[in-house]
Amino acid sequence: MGLLDTEFGKRRLLSVEVPAIEKYNEGRDAEFKIFLNRVGGTLVLSYLLKPCHNIYRLETRLLSSYPTVPPETRVLTPLKHCPHLLEGQTMCLWRQGSTRAVSRWDPAKFTCVFALQAAWRWLVCYEIWHDTGEWPLPEAK
Amino acid sequence: MAHIFQVGAGSGGIVVLDAVARDERVDRITLIEPDVYAPHNVHRHLFPLSAAGRMKADLAAEWIKGLRPELKVDAIQADLTDPALHSMLHALAAECDLGVCAVDNEAAKFAFDSLMRGVGKPWTLGEVLSGGIGGWIHRFAADGPCYGCVASHLQRTVAEEPSAPAPDYANPQAAIAETRIPASKASISTIASLQAVMTLDVLANDATNLDFTSLLFTLARVPGVFEDAYRSYRFRIAKSAACLICSSIPAPAAGEDLDVALDQALARLGHE
Repeated sequence: MGLLDTEFGKRRLLSVEVPAIEKYNEGRDAEFKIFLNRVGGTLVLSYLLKPCHNIYRLETRLLSSYPTVPPETRVLTPLKHCPHLLEGQTMCLWRQGSTRAVSRWDPAKFTCVFALQAAWRWLVCYEIWHDTGEWPLPEAK
Repeated sequence: MAHIFQVGAGSGGIVVLDAVARDERVDRITLIEPDVYAPHNVHRHLFPLSAAGRMKADLAAEWIKGLRPELKVDAIQADLTDPALHSMLHALAAECDLGVCAVDNEAAKFAFDSLMRGVGKPWTLGEVLSGGIGGWIHRFAADGPCYGCVASHLQRTVAEEPSAPAPDYANPQAAIAETRIPASKASISTIASLQAVMTLDVLANDATNLDFTSLLFTLARVPGVFEDAYRSYRFRIAKSAACLICSSIPAPAAGEDLDVALDQALARLGHE
């Protein structure tokens, strides 16, 4: 679909994603704001999250095929190897056809900021897992 | 005479293609299909084991040319979601009268929806439920709900699949166990045939009188899911005002101004 090179993609960015990011950034401390950069045909959101005690640096990539294809989020801060962490410290967040609404990427309802909130939830689970050895959410079905 | 633009020539797509291509009103078919015909396709497809290794698009094109040699068939081995092909696919879709979507992955369905809405053409979609317990047939019009509206409305909350085994996170490159229960050739053909019927209705403009956008047809009784086999349920799904894909959220600019506005937004939000 070409996020950055089709009218559909540009309209989606300007009417949905950019306003959502600006709303998220509104009144937020500068270091916790989302920064948005173009890398080739991809848009990269760079941000910090502090779900509990620790601060993590992350990036969420909106690929050229976004929003049809879900965003990819990876943690740049080194993590201990854990469940739900894929190659390159990419978070396992979405599952096609999942029966759990928040585990199934829905381009008609979700914006890139929802992906960031999903990352926040994932990091909370990570911290609990780190302390207890238990991932507090069941596998997505 | 009509030009059909179809994506997918798998076990369902080939049934739709076979039925639609036989209709005398159809004189041209453009088929998009990226896959190679594999030995495991044989038990649910038209082609023999000896065809394994060949492109499905080529096999399908030969099949329908064998039925109607006068038909103009363009078989294109391509992935619908490949952004590099967007312009070419858009041009092909613009030339068609009707689209047929016969793929089973969400990204391709959204991509096809975007393509068809972009050119303002109607299209149909068939979806076989896991295990072949039934299936959906949807029809879309340029001014109606998009696939996002339909998928969000239906929410896909029916849990008819067994729990998936946990992925092996220590070995991310390992093969992932298939959790989807394969449907039988018979159930796939039934749903695909219904899609073909609806496609031909749309072609004849008979579908404008239908009072539903989506048809669910059950093929098995599944406790807690379907009370009976062989029942149909009709749904009239409306365009969602909150849909982020097709709702008319005004963009702040149009044409070249869109690029300027996007550059300004990226400059505002980018790293210094």
